[in-house]
Amino acid sequence: MTGLGAAGGDGTDWDRFASSYPEPFGALSGLVAAAWAEGDPVLLELARLRTATLLRYDAERGRRSARARAAGLTEAKVAELPAWPTSPLFTPRERACLALAEQFVIDAAGVTDSLVVGVTDHLGAEGCYAFVQALSVLETFQRACLTLGIDSAPEVDELVAAGAATTPEARR
Amino acid sequence: MTPRIPLPTDAVTELGLPDTPDWAPAVTAARSRLRRAAYRMKSVDPVTTELVRIRNARFQHCHF
Repeated sequence: MTGLGAAGGDGTDWDRFASSYPEPFGALSGLVAAAWAEGDPVLLELARLRTATLLRYDAERGRRSARARAAGLTEAKVAELPAWPTSPLFTPRERACLALAEQFVIDAAGVTDSLVVGVTDHLGAEGCYAFVQALSVLETFQRACLTLGIDSAPEVDELVAAGAATTPEARR
Repeated sequence: MTPRIPLPTDAVTELGLPDTPDWAPAVTAARSRLRRAAYRMKSVDPVTTELVRIRNARFQHCHF
């Protein structure tokens, strides 16, 4: 992938952009960290990987969250992700979240009441709200990286750790 | 637009959006920080920033 060519130097694509634009990239890391801090890691990882597939962001699809793995997400399930509507590996809760995630990424204006109710039934109103916020964060991050040509972004957990360290709460 | 999920309060922000400060507070704060950082970038002039914001809002059918 050819990027915009942020200031030169060693490190990943992400590192070079982050060194050139520390404030917005630090804020973006903080946003990703906040989303993962407030969400179920397995649901977020499934949504992140599905989003990467829909956006054709192959590099992101190759990364994994250790937090999600520790919470029980297996590679077998990840491999079955394209078949989530019918695969027996997915729970009704995960299917409801993936259905909303897919429509959110494809066309948010097409999200229906039933898709939202499906998630609210499993996560509650506040959980649904947090999940939608997280979807927006995952999508923002991936679209920004794709647009800027950032292939070698940090692993999700590194990004979360870096973002958590840049939050105002952490700097106090 | 009617909220699709039951909200804890009828309060709204100055933009007319549901005011839910206790829901996903870390994401809300982080999003504000990113928005401020984006607006402070000297490399994008305010007119272009506003045009992009409005164009995106129309594309997303966001009428606030």
